[in-house]
Amino acid sequence: MSKRPCGLLAMVVVLSIGATAVAADDPAGIEFFEKNIRPVLVSKCYSCHSAKSKKLKGGLLLDTREATRRGGESGHAVVPGNLEDSLLIESLRYEGLEMPPKEQLPEAVIAKFEKWVKMGAPDPRGGKTDPAPRVIDFDEARKFWSFQPIGNPQPPKVADGKWAESDIDRFVLARLEAKNLKPVADADPRTLVRRAYFDLVGLPPTPEQVDEFVADPSPAAFAKLVDRLLESPQFGERWGRHWLDVVRYGESTGMERNYSYPHAWRYRDYVIASFNADKPFNRFLTEQVAGDLMPAESISQRHAQTVATGLLAIGTKSLNERNREKFAMDIVDDQIDVTTRAFLGLTGACARCHDHKFDPIPNKDYYALAGIFRSTATYYGTGSNRGNRQQGQLLALAADGVRPVATKAAGGKKNNAASKKAANQLRAARKRLEKVKKQAGENPNVKQAAAIKRTTAQIKRLQRLAKPQKAGKKPAAPVGKNVGLAMGVADSNPKDTQIRIRGNADERGETVPRGFLTIATLGDAAKIGDAASGRLELAQWMTQESNPLTARVAVNRTWQHLFGRGIVRTVNNFGANGERPTHPELLDHLASRFVASNWSVKQLVRSIVLSHAYRLGSRPNAKAEEVDPDNQLLWKANHRRLEAEAIRDAILSASGQLDSAPGEKSLVATVGDGDIGRSIQPARFAIDSVKRSVYLPIVRSAVPEALRVFDFPEPSIISGQRDVTTVPTQALFMMNNEFVLQQSRHMAKRVIDNTADNSDRVKLAYRLALCREPAEAEMQRAIDFIEQTSAQAEAAEAKDNMKAWSGFCQVLLASAEFRYIE
Amino acid sequence: MLQLSRREVLQSISCGFGFTAFAGMAAEAAQKEFQNPLAPKQPHFAARAKRVIFLCMRGGPSHVDTFDYKPMLEEYAGKSPGEASGGLNNQKGRKLKPSPWAFKQHGESGLPISELFPHVAKHADDLCLLNGSHTTLPNHPQALVELHTGNFQFVRPSVGAWMLYGLGTENQDLPGFITIKPPARLGGAQNYGSAFLPAIYQGTPIGQTRQALKDARVQNLANPQLTAKAQRQQIDLLQSLNRDLAGRQPDNSQIDGVIQSYELAFRMQSAVPKLLDLSSETEESLNLYGIGNGPTDDFGRQCLLARRFVEAGVRYVELTHENWDQHKSLKARLGSNCKATDQPIAALLADLKRRDMLKDTLVIWGGEFGRTPAVRNDDGRDHNSAGFTMWMAGGGVKGGLRYGATDDFGIAAVEDKFHTHDLHATTLHLLGLDHTRLTYRYAGRDFRLTDVFGRVAEKIIA
Repeated sequence: MSKRPCGLLAMVVVLSIGATAVAADDPAGIEFFEKNIRPVLVSKCYSCHSAKSKKLKGGLLLDTREATRRGGESGHAVVPGNLEDSLLIESLRYEGLEMPPKEQLPEAVIAKFEKWVKMGAPDPRGGKTDPAPRVIDFDEARKFWSFQPIGNPQPPKVADGKWAESDIDRFVLARLEAKNLKPVADADPRTLVRRAYFDLVGLPPTPEQVDEFVADPSPAAFAKLVDRLLESPQFGERWGRHWLDVVRYGESTGMERNYSYPHAWRYRDYVIASFNADKPFNRFLTEQVAGDLMPAESISQRHAQTVATGLLAIGTKSLNERNREKFAMDIVDDQIDVTTRAFLGLTGACARCHDHKFDPIPNKDYYALAGIFRSTATYYGTGSNRGNRQQGQLLALAADGVRPVATKAAGGKKNNAASKKAANQLRAARKRLEKVKKQAGENPNVKQAAAIKRTTAQIKRLQRLAKPQKAGKKPAAPVGKNVGLAMGVADSNPKDTQIRIRGNADERGETVPRGFLTIATLGDAAKIGDAASGRLELAQWMTQESNPLTARVAVNRTWQHLFGRGIVRTVNNFGANGERPTHPELLDHLASRFVASNWSVKQLVRSIVLSHAYRLGSRPNAKAEEVDPDNQLLWKANHRRLEAEAIRDAILSASGQLDSAPGEKSLVATVGDGDIGRSIQPARFAIDSVKRSVYLPIVRSAVPEALRVFDFPEPSIISGQRDVTTVPTQALFMMNNEFVLQQSRHMAKRVIDNTADNSDRVKLAYRLALCREPAEAEMQRAIDFIEQTSAQAEAAEAKDNMKAWSGFCQVLLASAEFRYIE
Repeated sequence: MLQLSRREVLQSISCGFGFTAFAGMAAEAAQKEFQNPLAPKQPHFAARAKRVIFLCMRGGPSHVDTFDYKPMLEEYAGKSPGEASGGLNNQKGRKLKPSPWAFKQHGESGLPISELFPHVAKHADDLCLLNGSHTTLPNHPQALVELHTGNFQFVRPSVGAWMLYGLGTENQDLPGFITIKPPARLGGAQNYGSAFLPAIYQGTPIGQTRQALKDARVQNLANPQLTAKAQRQQIDLLQSLNRDLAGRQPDNSQIDGVIQSYELAFRMQSAVPKLLDLSSETEESLNLYGIGNGPTDDFGRQCLLARRFVEAGVRYVELTHENWDQHKSLKARLGSNCKATDQPIAALLADLKRRDMLKDTLVIWGGEFGRTPAVRNDDGRDHNSAGFTMWMAGGGVKGGLRYGATDDFGIAAVEDKFHTHDLHATTLHLLGLDHTRLTYRYAGRDFRLTDVFGRVAEKIIA
């Protein structure tokens, strides 16, 4: 079956029409057609399936003989003489497609159609066969907002010049003033400092850090704080994880056979390092698409750029797929999907089977991109084993360069151990056989004959098992010790590829020259040379100044992470089905300045965080609530639930247990190659760690519980926005999970050890968990709780009140306030 | 004023006041209230079934030995399918193998059922045999994932997740979608995942493959240190904190959600273990399901749990019985599988019936595909996706019906073909959901469980 990402039925029809096209159009047949078939076609079908249809459906015309036989996007409508393969009949019978959609035709009419097809489908109608192909008028299509060149609009004049401190503020305020709205008061310093820490580094400020800022909340002090956070290594861990959502980062193949990717973590670390180094976003993009083709000044840079191309290798893989061509085209599809959605905000993969239904992306453009990725070899590893029909290779990061290497057998040691065991059994079985044969001599009795037969069969089986597992299909290139392995891509046999009809990998149409999306090509695009895959040129095209999408999409993502919502709310879809920007001029302002400042993500973040708009409080305002209940115009700050990682990291931070040193590799690397659920039990990945959450193993179908309960995105699919659900499983996790209980105990110990005074302890606990001191009533309730709980405890336990204090600390960690920022 | 009434409402919640009352009262008090995404929703049209129990026989049970009687196999035993069918269905090197088990007609309807299912056969008049079932591929991994999500090529929400999304669930103290002993591989959690639907709609697994059900636990359901009373005190303190915050942030409706989630969780803690604890069941009931009796013990427990869950208001319950993949040892292993499941399944049907719940509980039985009537190994059958049998009972389907048919030998579905997509469309239909209207927007377009496929099998609806 073909792939159908955009929901079109694709039928594989084996018969060619040429062979059966000439039907016996005798006068009786024609009469039958005129009497029974044509009237039905005209009255029931033409409104959607004729040259005069207002909107042609499914690319199918039924108003000429040739077109009827050729069929539409789903396959041949009529195959003369063959009921089984005539989609028209199947549709009339409502056995797949259901036509006409409103109501099924009467049985007698359908029977007439069947008779007609059996007769050879006589049909006198002539005329052109080609359904007027939908020609995209690109000039017209480029009038859509996101395909317009990125402008550099002047900041508007505003009435309240004092409030508006920056250009960003002027764009925001102008829209508010137009609606007679005013921004609410600023957030208090405690709220602001907590917000800034979580937004920039994904961690809460320590009590001392809060005190420091509250003592001097001046703009200069805030700017200094922001700069410090931007420079801290935690910035990359926070912002790198945002990117990992978008690129469906996962450490296994997912799908029906879930093989581990023990080397995917290198790509994760590359992403974190890139954000920390403030790598210009255009370079960051280019490295991920074509890092292997870029010049490198050192071997470590060569390695890093290779690892960057892991973007194209870490997607899901259907390892059980038998059809190699389809498997290859599925990888290409994943690469087109991630490239177009992550960088361009377009659902390019929808054009695999047909022209894009909503956006001006023709089928042809998809295969122009597909040619680029077909000219690329993807190194994703996965060990050889039963069930893996599509084992891949990896890239060795050697001291003298990068080269492909075979992956070893999944479960390596275990399999070798198994073969050794079999070899021993084999020896024993051979001895047994010899013995029986000797005893039996020429005429074995029944028992002996059976034993001989049984042992012979056993030997045969053991011989197979005793063979050491082959290490991959191709001989492994020698890899020295301490050479790292990576996932990634390299150019391979560059050539154009053919359109695959209706997305069916094996049905080839015309060859399409490698190239890019026509709609987003506003200037000249680089030419792809014969010897090049075109990935480097693709990256150049995406990052050239005239590309209307890349910079807009990138700044919009950044804005979303700081305000809780993008200027374009559908961050992965800037097409017709996406939402329109709430502040189009602000978006262009940010995008053009982003490009002008050498695509610096840190400068972009800095300019947004230092705007007045970012510092707003979240107090309600009745008037604004009425005019703009969704806060689209940004008259206040949005309440935001922390992401799963930030919740977990904040727990570890409050308990004092967080090990903020970068995680080494990944647990998946330690566990190694294998089939998760078969040779590797998923429980092996559920191991406690006190590293930041970004370093936890992200195995598809086995995401760590602490992340999963708080809406960690499905790592198999490209995700631009986190869901926020509030459900009892989260409450149960905070109430009973061993991780939370353990961290509550650590936090309690920290609080108890710090001071002997109960109210000081409560204060510290509040400061650690919520970045503030308790109100009077809260203090009283806390003390009551501690005393009450201690009184109930056994005398021996009451000594340090550990149980009471850990119960209290858990309350703070479990509170709504803990997991929300204002 | 508004603050006050709101606080009153929230306090009443901590005293165990129900969610529904809260929703009604609070709706007047504030503009945008927290909407519980699991609250019961109206179906598209009148539903025949309110809930589903899916008995997943993983591995592909042989249809010609169980529920698809093929007398012609006797006549053509040992012949190749090509010889038997006059050239069609030529499968090289295979010989037709009649079922080693006898079929008899059962009930007033006279449905032919093999002697492997003597107990289930007593419910013949409630069964709707879907003899024309077929699916896309004869490989376990793809077929199992397609059975659960409608698509083996991409990660998509599972049937149960779609159902919760469409209908919500009736008992907020329990998960709405429970899967008992799901397979860890062949898609693993994908088979009960929510994919792009909000995570709240995913299934809650209980137990795992190769683990006895009596040892199964639900994660995070019990606090290892606190008594219920002590934990209640802790939660009271927590909720006072949360209510204060709700007072300070009256525009943040999510806080209400957090408050509710703790109350629901607290109730769930006592509700779920109560359901898992079978000690309140009578001796008669345990015997009925074959619990405590060797081979039927484990699946008996699963079936009894399923009944207890649906009775308590769980929307979708799936049970898995493994190892129906009889390439060899058909006689012994198919026999033992049926022995382990026959009595428990029959007990489930009987139990639902006597509680008057079968009429609106849809029970579905089947695997990812069936098996070949023509064999290479004399005591085994291979994968067959072209034709196999699933069956339904209750939930508004006609009983005593053979719907659809395979050819004379059971090789391929030929009549009233019933693809996996049709199974999904029909299941949703019985629950009052139009499979073409149950959509979710993701990546710029509306997705549905059945993609562009699926046809409701009108003829089986009572």
